[in-house]
Amino acid sequence: MASVELKNLTKSFGKTEVLHGIDLVVKNGEFIVFVGPSGCGKSTTLRLLAGLEEATSGDILIGDQLVNNLEPKERNIAMVFQNYAIYPHMSVRKNIGFGLRTSKLSKADREKRIDEVAEILSMTELLERRPVQLSGGQRQRVAIGRAMVRDPSVFLFDEPLSNLDAQLRTQMRLEIKKLHQDVGTTIIFVTHDQVEAMTLADRIVIMKDGHIQQVGTPSEVYQHPKNIFVAQFIGAPSMNMLTGKQVKTGVQLDGGPLLKVLPTNKTQNSGNITIGIRPNALTLAKDGDDVLFEGKITIVEPLGAEALIYVDLGYANVIAHVPGYTPPKTGEMVKLTAPQQEIHFFDTESGLTLRQD
Amino acid sequence: MNWYRKLSIKQKQVVWAWTFLAIPVLFYVVIRFYPTFGSVLLSFQDWNLLGSKTWIGLENYEKLVADPVFWKVFNNTFIYLLLGTPVSLLISFIIAYHLDKVSFLHATIRAMYFIPFMTSAVAMAWLWRWFYQPVPIGLFNNFLASMGISQLPFLRSTVSALPSVLAPAIWAGLGFQIIIFMAGLRAIPQSYYEAAQIDGVGPWTVLREITIPLLKPTLVFLVVFSSIGFLRIFDQVFNMTTNDPGGPLNSTKPLVLMIYDTAFNAFDMGYAAAQTVVLFTILLLVSLLQLYVMRERT
Repeated sequence: MASVELKNLTKSFGKTEVLHGIDLVVKNGEFIVFVGPSGCGKSTTLRLLAGLEEATSGDILIGDQLVNNLEPKERNIAMVFQNYAIYPHMSVRKNIGFGLRTSKLSKADREKRIDEVAEILSMTELLERRPVQLSGGQRQRVAIGRAMVRDPSVFLFDEPLSNLDAQLRTQMRLEIKKLHQDVGTTIIFVTHDQVEAMTLADRIVIMKDGHIQQVGTPSEVYQHPKNIFVAQFIGAPSMNMLTGKQVKTGVQLDGGPLLKVLPTNKTQNSGNITIGIRPNALTLAKDGDDVLFEGKITIVEPLGAEALIYVDLGYANVIAHVPGYTPPKTGEMVKLTAPQQEIHFFDTESGLTLRQD
Repeated sequence: MNWYRKLSIKQKQVVWAWTFLAIPVLFYVVIRFYPTFGSVLLSFQDWNLLGSKTWIGLENYEKLVADPVFWKVFNNTFIYLLLGTPVSLLISFIIAYHLDKVSFLHATIRAMYFIPFMTSAVAMAWLWRWFYQPVPIGLFNNFLASMGISQLPFLRSTVSALPSVLAPAIWAGLGFQIIIFMAGLRAIPQSYYEAAQIDGVGPWTVLREITIPLLKPTLVFLVVFSSIGFLRIFDQVFNMTTNDPGGPLNSTKPLVLMIYDTAFNAFDMGYAAAQTVVLFTILLLVSLLQLYVMRERT
């Protein structure tokens, strides 16, 4: 087990800089998830950590040791690839044992170690099979087994679940989380799926265009997004965003009414404000509630216990949550409300949050 | 077209399939299968191309077994195969393996390796004949002489003639084999190598345990393809030894050249057909054997 530290890490491919100074400290035993849209630099960061690419500048420390110039094998890390990278011509046993070839263990100890790992991943009975005879989830487990067998100090996962179907993905997600709880090794996990990030991570690192946008626990990044990008990236469906101008008594929405809400802190802003409300915070107003919006339902999406309604306000469209058993119908006029503390304010120009709590 | 409309979808597909297949089927029957069966039949007959054919049973084959030239030629053919296939595959793999890692002038280098494959075998053979000439004409011997080494006889010796003929044949085929090998190498996912790199295994292990096993389909194809090529070698030999085709003293003569001689110099068509049948059988057996040995084991 080891901590990992990235100091002002940059990476350029030719003249294009894809990482612009990444700073991050990962604590020993922590489960860190890098998440972001494709091309944000999350996989590149992982590959730099693994030693598959060389950093253009900056330092990488694993367990307080500077590893910039160390070969991948000297970094004591293990990596699980998106396409598993398990060898089709070798049995599961040979695949898992491949990483032990350079170890100094005796043959009997190696076999014992392979059996142990197979036991943990409950695939002892699969050891003599070939990868073609395995399902997607089992192949994924072989890939994890191969990473575990060397007992590395850091696990790196590069979008390991994206080749699995939805059901298996949920199941493997649980297994990886359980594995982390059992072995406690530091894990750095890359994904583009925010649900995966939320469910797995101790802390999430949200990236965009080679910059870290926010680092925080799942609830931090969900409840207190630092900027518009994070607010919209985390949570599904995306946060409703309405632009407007700050006036004395509230926010004058572009083309719409005056909302009598104001950012709680008094930091200077450009006066152009974006209001963000998560769909699940936006619900039908009961008698006596402050009505925020009024509009006509254009689409109803039933999800079972709840339903999403798409509401045309005339100047913008918003998505709201309603109970699923008797949802309103398309074409109905509805009044929507949201609790004060669920309303996010952002400076439209800088994109930064205007909330301090 | 009333009958057509009454057919089921499946039957209509069959009608269309056979309509399109008619031309290739006709082609194969007339141009391939008919002559093949014709030559098998001919191998049991005596025919000088003009006179009438007479049935002589197995006489042609008996003659073949008793013919010392046939055994010499049979031997030569297998030397071409057993030397040519492994040597050409080894060289082309080494080139492809390294060329795959070169990005500088990659396309140009690849094209340069491919040019001999496109060159006429006749032009190439004559060029190499010139290379092999004694001092003061031949390139190789001039070079050897300038280094103070004694000349080599190349095409003039019964020992060195066959390898000397084989060399340009290997060289000519390299371009094709390199292209196929590189396609095979490119098809191996990069993450296999990266996983091995993280596991810390050496390049030799990666080559032996990952690259070569994953190249097996490519290897099977190239082994079979180049074996058939070397078993059928003709133009290189014929053009490099024109004064005495297959010489000196039959030391370079392959089976195809013997067939050519028997048919178009001796006009012994039945005997030539018997030799063709033997060649066909060898090709079939060698190909089947290779496919069996290199089959996918699961």
